[in-house]
Amino acid sequence: MIKLWCGQIVSVVRLELKKTFFSKRGLWIYLLAFAPVALHVINSGYAARERQRLAMEAAKHPVSQAAFNDIKDGLSSDQVVEKLGKPYDQYSSYYRRGGKQHRVISYKYTDGKNDFTYRFEDDKLVRTHRSNPNALPQSQLVFATSFQFYFLRLAIFFGCVGVFVNLFRGEMLDKSLHFYLLTPMRREVLLAGKYFAGLLATIVIFTSSTALQWWAMLWQFERGVIVDFLASPGWSQFAAYLSVTALACVGYGSVFLAVGLLFRNPIIPTAVVLLWESANPFLPPVLKKTSMIYYLQSLCPVTASQDNLPPLMYLLISPTQPATTITAVTRIVLLTLIVLVLASFIARKLEINYSTD
Amino acid sequence: MKNDLITLDNVSRFYGEVLGVNRVTLSLPPGITSLVGPNGAGKTTLMNLMTGLIRPTRGRVRVLGQSPTQPHKLFGLVGYATQFDAFPKGLSGFQFIYSFLKLFGHSNAKCKQLANKVIEQVGLSDAAGRKVAGYSKGMRQRIRLAQALAHDPRVLILDEPLNGLDPLVRAETINLFRGYATEGRHVLVSSHVLHEVDMISDQVVLMSGGYVVAEGQIQGVRSEIQERPVKILIHCKQPSMLASKAFEQEHVVEAQLLAEGSGVLVTTRDADRFYRLLNHLAINGIDIEGVTPADDNVNSVYDYLIGSEERMPL
Repeated sequence: MIKLWCGQIVSVVRLELKKTFFSKRGLWIYLLAFAPVALHVINSGYAARERQRLAMEAAKHPVSQAAFNDIKDGLSSDQVVEKLGKPYDQYSSYYRRGGKQHRVISYKYTDGKNDFTYRFEDDKLVRTHRSNPNALPQSQLVFATSFQFYFLRLAIFFGCVGVFVNLFRGEMLDKSLHFYLLTPMRREVLLAGKYFAGLLATIVIFTSSTALQWWAMLWQFERGVIVDFLASPGWSQFAAYLSVTALACVGYGSVFLAVGLLFRNPIIPTAVVLLWESANPFLPPVLKKTSMIYYLQSLCPVTASQDNLPPLMYLLISPTQPATTITAVTRIVLLTLIVLVLASFIARKLEINYSTD
Repeated sequence: MKNDLITLDNVSRFYGEVLGVNRVTLSLPPGITSLVGPNGAGKTTLMNLMTGLIRPTRGRVRVLGQSPTQPHKLFGLVGYATQFDAFPKGLSGFQFIYSFLKLFGHSNAKCKQLANKVIEQVGLSDAAGRKVAGYSKGMRQRIRLAQALAHDPRVLILDEPLNGLDPLVRAETINLFRGYATEGRHVLVSSHVLHEVDMISDQVVLMSGGYVVAEGQIQGVRSEIQERPVKILIHCKQPSMLASKAFEQEHVVEAQLLAEGSGVLVTTRDADRFYRLLNHLAINGIDIEGVTPADDNVNSVYDYLIGSEERMPL
């Protein structure tokens, strides 16, 4: 019996994969999945160019590290120029406060790796900004932020909507679902076959994208830097990101397969799930643990940057300890199984009623 | 013996407030059974109920003792050619049948062998490698039939299977049905083309508005109708006189003069008495050229049972 079921599942997967991978209707899923690769490539290209530029500026305007360390707030622009020499770039502006006009000057220096911006207001140094777009930790942070805020929450989420909802609903609309229902196949087996087909498709698409994004993040760096990073902690981070991607497909896939079975119009339930997942940072800790994104983020190896959030958002965010790896994986798998069991009950009662769909 | 029957026990199906079929009780033996009725009569609903594509709101369906809610048991026995004209995308005729058979758990070799056999049976061997999407309506009809036949089922359920077939293929298909029926299998065919039913049915189920209005052998269906008026077409030289004489009889319901003045169409509740009257009139000088029962096929029974809207005045 198990052999028969496995054979049937494989047959369903074969039929569904072709449709899932090569459907014109699914082109947008590829765009969604691979858009961040393009962003990382652009970012890496920009960073590599910046590295070259800073090296050239440093050669033209050499400054010692000790001189940089000697710069403190309150110095005048002349004093800074005296210590560091002429900036390689500068710009000025004015602003008005309390009926009085203030002059702002920014001087830019570099040591070849870091870019320093000194901001003077009324000729007094008020702020020093140091940026290093080429540093690996910075790139890791960019990757983590893009992965958690775009890739998990939007790309995989909507990709799973596109693939899994269509497994049943799409065939209802095409009026071709009866093909399966006229065979001696348990509905649960059909559901499993379709789920595995969707899972295989989404895992291939999205883990490929994760791998490409990872490569795009790293290619700007020199070989030695990359080898050192991959030795520790690079490969384990990479494996973690791939696993999180696959788990997201497992979890969201089951939810949207059930949505496709249960609802004629999947937009509303999808919006509800999206809202719930998006509201996660602002939910109290107990409710936080009822959303998929909480466990997925807990598994991410680097915490995403929240530096650019508006202050009000900081007030709303409820801090919660991330779940342990074992808890996160167990809960996602458990949730998936529960949803699939419920979906199989729906599938058993599934009717062909094309005219009303 | 009981397991040889398709049984529906007080089955009703509603789509919200819309009636699909209501209180249908049937017990169908092997052979060719025709479900006849106009569009919306409930034929497809009944077939979908028998195959579990929909579930009854009330009542119980059994096909050779199997419940349609258990497809893994049912579809080893049943082949269903639906009217749904959609196929999994991108498949050729052969791939369509082959993929279908794979879902039965057969080996690749057996699937290939069965697919080739059934494709030949429906006369699509030359087109087997072409995409189904490029098939004509008749070819799609035949590939659906092949799908129903492919696993050699004991029960064939075919929704309007002769639609879109040319006369030659139609005759071959009917012979195929007859062959299946003589092997003691069920062949359940729906149709609204009534002369097809006359040709191929062992028994007929007449449906209208979601109800079974009559069932049994065609002659049996007739005998169920006690008060059914009979139409008789008389060609004669004095149609007006014949019509007036006929109307004097209390059993004559209607007498219509034919448009070209060549005769009269009489509707009577007592055909024997009317034939005796005709003899009498012939003796008394009315020149009768021919007498034909105008409704000696299932068409008339059907028209009578489901109402007068489809009757055409002569």
